[in-house]
Amino acid sequence: MDVLLNEDEEMIRDGVRRFFQAECGVPRVRAIEDDEARTDLDLWRQLAELGWLGLALPAAYGGGEAPFTQLTLLFEEAGRALAPVPLHPHMVAALTLAAAVERGDCGPLAETVISGACMGESLLTWAWDERLPNIGPEVVTLNAIADGNGWRLNGTKQMVEAFEIADYCLVAVRTDASQTAAGGITLLLVEPGAEGISSTTQRTLGGDHQSEVQFDNVYVGGDALVGRVDDGWDLARPMLERAMVLNCAMIVGATRRAAERAFDYAKERIAFGHPIGSFQAIQHTCADMITWVDGAELLTREAAWHIAQGMDAALAAAAAKSFANERCQMVLREANQIHGGYAQVYEYDQQLWYRRAAAWTMRLGTSTEHRRTVARALELQ
Amino acid sequence: MDFGFSEENEAFRAGIKAFIAENVSPAIIQEMQDGAHGAGIGPLTRDLILKIGERGWIGMSWPKEYGGREADIIDQYIFEEELARARVPLNLGNFIEQAPAIMKAGTEAQKKYFLPRLVRGEVTFALGYSEPSGGTDLASLKTRAVEDDDGYVINGQKVFTTRAESSSHIYLMARTDPDAPKHQGISIFLVPMDTPGITVRPLWTLPGGRTNEVFLEDVRVSKDTMLGQKNGGWNIGASALNLGRAGARRYCIYVSPFEDLLKYLQTDELGRDIAKDPVTQDKVAELYCEAQVARLFTMRSLSMVRRGQNPPYEISSEKIWGPEFQVRTTEAASQILGAYHQLWDGDGAPDGGNFPRQYVNAMVSTFGHGSTQVMRTAIARRGLDLPRD
Repeated sequence: MDVLLNEDEEMIRDGVRRFFQAECGVPRVRAIEDDEARTDLDLWRQLAELGWLGLALPAAYGGGEAPFTQLTLLFEEAGRALAPVPLHPHMVAALTLAAAVERGDCGPLAETVISGACMGESLLTWAWDERLPNIGPEVVTLNAIADGNGWRLNGTKQMVEAFEIADYCLVAVRTDASQTAAGGITLLLVEPGAEGISSTTQRTLGGDHQSEVQFDNVYVGGDALVGRVDDGWDLARPMLERAMVLNCAMIVGATRRAAERAFDYAKERIAFGHPIGSFQAIQHTCADMITWVDGAELLTREAAWHIAQGMDAALAAAAAKSFANERCQMVLREANQIHGGYAQVYEYDQQLWYRRAAAWTMRLGTSTEHRRTVARALELQ
Repeated sequence: MDFGFSEENEAFRAGIKAFIAENVSPAIIQEMQDGAHGAGIGPLTRDLILKIGERGWIGMSWPKEYGGREADIIDQYIFEEELARARVPLNLGNFIEQAPAIMKAGTEAQKKYFLPRLVRGEVTFALGYSEPSGGTDLASLKTRAVEDDDGYVINGQKVFTTRAESSSHIYLMARTDPDAPKHQGISIFLVPMDTPGITVRPLWTLPGGRTNEVFLEDVRVSKDTMLGQKNGGWNIGASALNLGRAGARRYCIYVSPFEDLLKYLQTDELGRDIAKDPVTQDKVAELYCEAQVARLFTMRSLSMVRRGQNPPYEISSEKIWGPEFQVRTTEAASQILGAYHQLWDGDGAPDGGNFPRQYVNAMVSTFGHGSTQVMRTAIARRGLDLPRD
């Protein structure tokens, strides 16, 4: 037991932080909001060249096979830098393909796609969200009817990240319409350009790249199958847990940076002849901010450790996500309060950390939903 | 990052559990509870402490020459955790809280006398810090120790001196130079409680336990009762206090009301009916998450101390989060159990009247060993480097 970072972990964190500090300054973070792709593809290529995209993917496909805990640190740093790249959807999809391949549940297409994902040749995303703002299996209703050795898809996916620039999208569909929960879900690897697919870009609080995607009688062949038919929840549940933990890591990284910016501001800003950071009202707020973000970080890292150990991570991930969602919003709110009027000004940088981190807390299930998971684990239901 | 315990750790834990199952009876726990309520340390408790001491579990991470066995401090954490989980109200940490300061600042003679006796439970200290005019602003203390040829003569008053009635010694902070800046004129004395001139008066507290006022009138002590340098007591005292704020036992106290509430809602017939409300479930789940943060903060402090680091603010975070969580829990429990939550005893009282006791206990947590406001200031200044003015 030692909850601090070990040498390897410190090396990863420091290396990634140095890279983002050198390459991913505020102008680059801002630029994507005015850009159609809403993604910095040059930065994406740089990450690929440095091998960060394959960090935790299997060595057999060109990855670094690092434990999930190290990947979590990469995401903390990406969050801290507000890296304007689709690291999250790419990694969620790639890790799920890797898990399926490892179980021998995938055809040659998935193997090719993982290799491409490691090298940055293929950009991956995933599509889970639909009408309800939850993350549980009940949200998946996209209808898939068997057709030959493939399927015909009809329905709508929401808030799909980087869809238009992705090469493949891992789509959760309902292959058995008689079931409404965990049973009857299947995962399919779909090309965004397939006939019958149309998408509409969604403007978001974080200014990132998300879309509503419509499937109108889209044919998907049998080789697109990832995992087993009707049994996709088996892969999807760990996929969602990994997605939640990596999302928490981004929230924590960005929130910590937002807090640090507020601490720095409190040391410089003079009011009534003193730096405002000398006032106890500000000092005590700052003490709470660091305590809350530290708490969210520890919960996130413990959940990541559960995943890295191959242990059941459902409870730890739900605890981390529900806590990070709410406490990190509180930290962001206080950081804004310390900045006063400047917090609302577009050209002032604080708002970047605020908007993006806050937007990330709104993804991947609500706090209430995750607390339901906790309550179930505590056998209160 | 490693959030797990090794096989050796788990084997040690199993040994502790077996020891508790074998040696801790309801009669001993009752005796300890009565002890905390003023009856003093009874014969069964004495016997148990001796057994624990024989196994080397008091001061287990200390150097061998002072009676310890140089065990990993994780063992200490596990030991405290298991004792707390079994709800054994025995604070062995209190027995040895002053030991690190004695190891750091004591003379060879003091180390040789006190440390082995602390380990065996023969010497126990009451903490003579707070005074009627100042607890949080400790450095403004007024108790005076005046030097003469034979030693020192001490006059003054201490308050909130818990266990003064049962301790062999008092770990006493007194002013030895009234003209020096307030942090620089303080010294520490290790004074036997049976020294003439010491009077103890009980202050009974809401949870039912006892703390004390201690009056010092012309208390004459020899020079070798001083710990460390004359006028150098502030830094020694501060380090002992910082160590006293960390440790598994404290986090276990912070989360014990939550564990009790959860167990009641899971296992009691009425509790299970109450827990059917989804709003209640949501609240309990939220508290669960917050309890994990209390545990993780303790694990973090332990990891840092184990690496030889001196946590700049992390122990203060632990000391804010834990007690305030404890208070939030008991307040939430009071609104979950409603009128049942007030019942102090009797057949209808949930968990034998435990809940109102936890409720008033929680209050004490937020100011014991330093108020949460002082902790926040410490985090801001020491941890975040925010300016003083």
